[in-house]
Amino acid sequence: MRFAAIVDSAMLNFALRNLFRHTGRTALTMAAIVAGVVGLMLSGGFVRDIFAKLGESIIHSQSGHLQVSRAGFQENGSRRPEHYLIGDPARLEARIAAVPGVADVMARISFSGLLNNGRSDVAIVGEGIEPAKETRLGTSLSIIAGRRLRADDATGAMLGDGVASTLKVAPGDRVTLMLATEGGALNTLDLDVVGVFRTFSKDYDARAVKIPIAAAQEVLNTAGASTMVVSLARTQDTASIAATLGSTLAGQGLEVWTWEALNDFYAKTVKLYERQFGVLRAIILVMVLLSVANSVNMSLFERVPEFGTMRALGDPASYIVRLVLVECVLLGVIGATVGVGIGSLLSAIISYFGIAMPPPPNSDVGYTAQIALVPGIVAGAFAVGVVATGLAGIPSALRAVRMPVVDALRQAI
Amino acid sequence: MPSAGPAVETNSKGPRLAVCVEDLSKDYALGDERVVALANVSLNIEKGVFLALAGPSGSGKSTLLNMIGCIDTPSRGRVFINGQDVSGRTPDQLAGLRARTIGFVFQTFNLFPVLTAEENVEYPLHHVDEIGRRERRERVRHFLHVVGLTNYARHRPNQLSGGQRQRVAIARALVAHPEIVLADEPTANLDHRTGRNILRLMRRINRETKVTFIFSTHDPQVIRMADRRVDLEDGQIVRLGVRARSDWRYAFDRARDGDDA
Repeated sequence: MRFAAIVDSAMLNFALRNLFRHTGRTALTMAAIVAGVVGLMLSGGFVRDIFAKLGESIIHSQSGHLQVSRAGFQENGSRRPEHYLIGDPARLEARIAAVPGVADVMARISFSGLLNNGRSDVAIVGEGIEPAKETRLGTSLSIIAGRRLRADDATGAMLGDGVASTLKVAPGDRVTLMLATEGGALNTLDLDVVGVFRTFSKDYDARAVKIPIAAAQEVLNTAGASTMVVSLARTQDTASIAATLGSTLAGQGLEVWTWEALNDFYAKTVKLYERQFGVLRAIILVMVLLSVANSVNMSLFERVPEFGTMRALGDPASYIVRLVLVECVLLGVIGATVGVGIGSLLSAIISYFGIAMPPPPNSDVGYTAQIALVPGIVAGAFAVGVVATGLAGIPSALRAVRMPVVDALRQAI
Repeated sequence: MPSAGPAVETNSKGPRLAVCVEDLSKDYALGDERVVALANVSLNIEKGVFLALAGPSGSGKSTLLNMIGCIDTPSRGRVFINGQDVSGRTPDQLAGLRARTIGFVFQTFNLFPVLTAEENVEYPLHHVDEIGRRERRERVRHFLHVVGLTNYARHRPNQLSGGQRQRVAIARALVAHPEIVLADEPTANLDHRTGRNILRLMRRINRETKVTFIFSTHDPQVIRMADRRVDLEDGQIVRLGVRARSDWRYAFDRARDGDDA
């Protein structure tokens, strides 16, 4: 059926005039819609900002956007990382760097061992890194003491907050790293603590040690790397570039992992918040529905004689139902549009000042939250405003046309 | 002239009759009681007649008018409009019949408050596809002129007096060129003089257009203006087919009072 057959200009004109027949009541109904839309935009934008900040923090403090490693390394490599080494990291780096959208490629080599301060040991999970490139990637890594590793730090080490406090060491102290080489021999390396860092993950900070990749390769007696960490120009290109890299490197025993796949807890966190937000959205929908339904009901009840007149004059029941729905949808569209405007303004104001947030669970780092204006959330909030108002009118419209014409007319007397 | 008795030969009477009511009854429950609003009413109404349904409040005249207007359904009996039985039709079919055949004038005017006088008059035409915009406008202008409200076309109902509102309602009832106009107590909410003027206007239109007018009233002075009357009491016809006013008397009254409705 054509739109014009459902709603003609005369009906639109009639519906608009009916809407503004009681401006006070219309304003109240609209206020309920606006409040609902604004509530959804702010809560949705807030949650989305949390996701984005958490994601970027993970990317820029730990995993990068993508990691390329030997097949099986991500599942089993933590126990025996030396078995999953990439033999010629420089060549692989060049191939990855040639893919459009890739900003940086850096090699890491993983190891596990003991770190000793001369008095006690602590079990650590270490990484040999390329300091200059990691500095460019690691914008979310907080240095709480000392400084970052530099390219000329031949035997420097950055310790996670938890490692440093367990060993009671600070920048300037010396520690000894003990580990097993690929061949099974025990090897040691004296390191100078240059800095102490903190990430979003307290667990990670309790075991993490970063040293220059050259030093790690020397102590492990290898020229290889465990993984190639890829930094992208834009986070939203992660999936497409992962697919491109996957096909480029197919058949070479390599795997491409996205940051989301590498950080399972992120997906779980998102799922948890999404579920909570879904419930919130449902509650707001019901609240808008109830307040709008109440107001619409009241308004339509007063117009029962008018509907009786319309039917006496020859309007079929379907015309009246359509008219009521058009009125409700128009009200919803106007209310939701105003809501989106006010929601956008409030988002901008709140984001300008920011919301100081306490450290999330398993973290010591607080952050400043903002309200993300995401098209999907704005569209969803708008749709909720329109749909809730449209739905609110249906029972009243059906009730109005089910009443016998003569009974409807009698209410005018 | 209206006549009592069932419409035995519906087909043969059809062309002459605007309305034929056959053994019509209406009762409804009021708490535990059964109230009889109409009891076995039969009535034939010829085309072009200006007929008054008279009787005190609760006599059943509005109920009968509602049945004829197809806005209420009988408990028993049948209603024929232009020789066609309307029983068994769906609500939408009845709505279509009303749109094409019947115009309504209500006691409380029932104008749409958000529409102007001309938009109110135009309203019944919005489902009539075969009438173009130009003809629509001409019809509205014509009927506003007929009821003497050309200068009030852009006024909303709340800017009009009671008499003016009822005239807009009359124009609205006529705009789709119905064969029957039903008016339920059209003067009840008007002062006596305005009510008489409204009736004169309706009478004049009836004479000029030959549209059948059926109206209910309990005002004896208004009843006298009809040229046919049917008296109801307790849901039954007690007097039928009385000529309320002769044609020469009508012409005399008209000359005396003028058409100032």
